Amino acid sequence: MEVTVLIQTADKAFEILEKARNEARELLYSSAKIASETKSLEAKRAEQAFLSGAQHTKLAIRNYTLTFFMLFAFWVLLSGRLDLFHLTLGVLSCLLISYLSYDLLFANVRIGDIRIMFKRFFAAAPWFLSQIFTANLHVAYLALSPKMPIDPSILRFNTKLESDISWVALANSITLTPGTITIDIRDGEFFVHAIDKKVASDLDTGEMEDKIAHVFMEADHIYIQDILDVSRIFGELK
Amino acid sequence: MTRLTDDIIIRAVARIMIPFIQIYALYVIMHGHHSPGGGFQGGVILGASFILYLITHGLEEARARMSELKAGIFSASGLLIYSGIGLLCLILGSNFLDYGRLSLILKVIPAQARSLGILGVEIGVGITVMAVMFSIFFDISTGGIIPEDEEIKEENG
Repeated sequence: MEVTVLIQTADKAFEILEKARNEARELLYSSAKIASETKSLEAKRAEQAFLSGAQHTKLAIRNYTLTFFMLFAFWVLLSGRLDLFHLTLGVLSCLLISYLSYDLLFANVRIGDIRIMFKRFFAAAPWFLSQIFTANLHVAYLALSPKMPIDPSILRFNTKLESDISWVALANSITLTPGTITIDIRDGEFFVHAIDKKVASDLDTGEMEDKIAHVFMEADHIYIQDILDVSRIFGELK
Repeated sequence: MTRLTDDIIIRAVARIMIPFIQIYALYVIMHGHHSPGGGFQGGVILGASFILYLITHGLEEARARMSELKAGIFSASGLLIYSGIGLLCLILGSNFLDYGRLSLILKVIPAQARSLGILGVEIGVGITVMAVMFSIFFDISTGGIIPEDEEIKEENG
């Protein structure tokens, strides 16, 4: 008996709540409509600036914390003293440095990328090492063979990578591989010196570029990330 | 005048290196009483990181990060820390920079007070050396001309 009464009252309460919610929603919609009609262009601009400012602050805080933890790991590695006094000193100096240069270490990284990037980097590292090893053997063969069959040339190619940090990663991994040296990057066009035909053709296949694009989630990955970025804002708007 | 370099590799690598150079500089300052290093060496490394930023990112961006005014304030405040600790020892009734006397304030044994006092002095020295190194390089790269001077000159004639 008591249970049925309880259920009935609960039902009523839910009905009232739903009604109130509907009314509130209608009110909100109508007020939003009026606001959007009456709002001047400048107010809209100010709101947009505020929103982008909030986005900026969020990014800054994320950069700050990431920089702080990377620097603190580096500090512990250097110091090696794990007593409270030295760790406090470390925390203070890491706070200071991440305040001074939080925007340097992670300047162009998108939100949510960083963990996947680290995983992919460590997954791709053995391939790069093996590449360096085989290239070493090849250059040793070129240097030791009596005829010295070198055929130096300069390659020019446009890259599909988009951010400066991935350009630098590609340039440095080309330079790290014996036999090829990146001379310059101009607006995404690479100038690479290769010591002979084989090394140049290896580079021309673009396998290294694909690996770098995979690590930095660029080229084909960029569209998925764009959709994810938009979907988050879309949910808030809804 | 030093401008923003158009070599993207140098710029990006410097951008990544600078925070680690700075934390290394602070490590050298803070561990000066345990291992090689100290205030001067760490301050020079810290100043070098700012100079690296100036070389790679140009005067304008470097000025936004560390202006001449800030460098001046830092060099003076570092000296203030140094001489302040020295004078504190003098006030407490011992010689200038005799850190043992700081044990009266810090409530620790004299040996530990010496360690803490020398750490404070090294921090002061480091700040001053960093600021002075940076302002020397700044003066060289601008040729001693600061933008306010140029504006005044333009207004006058």
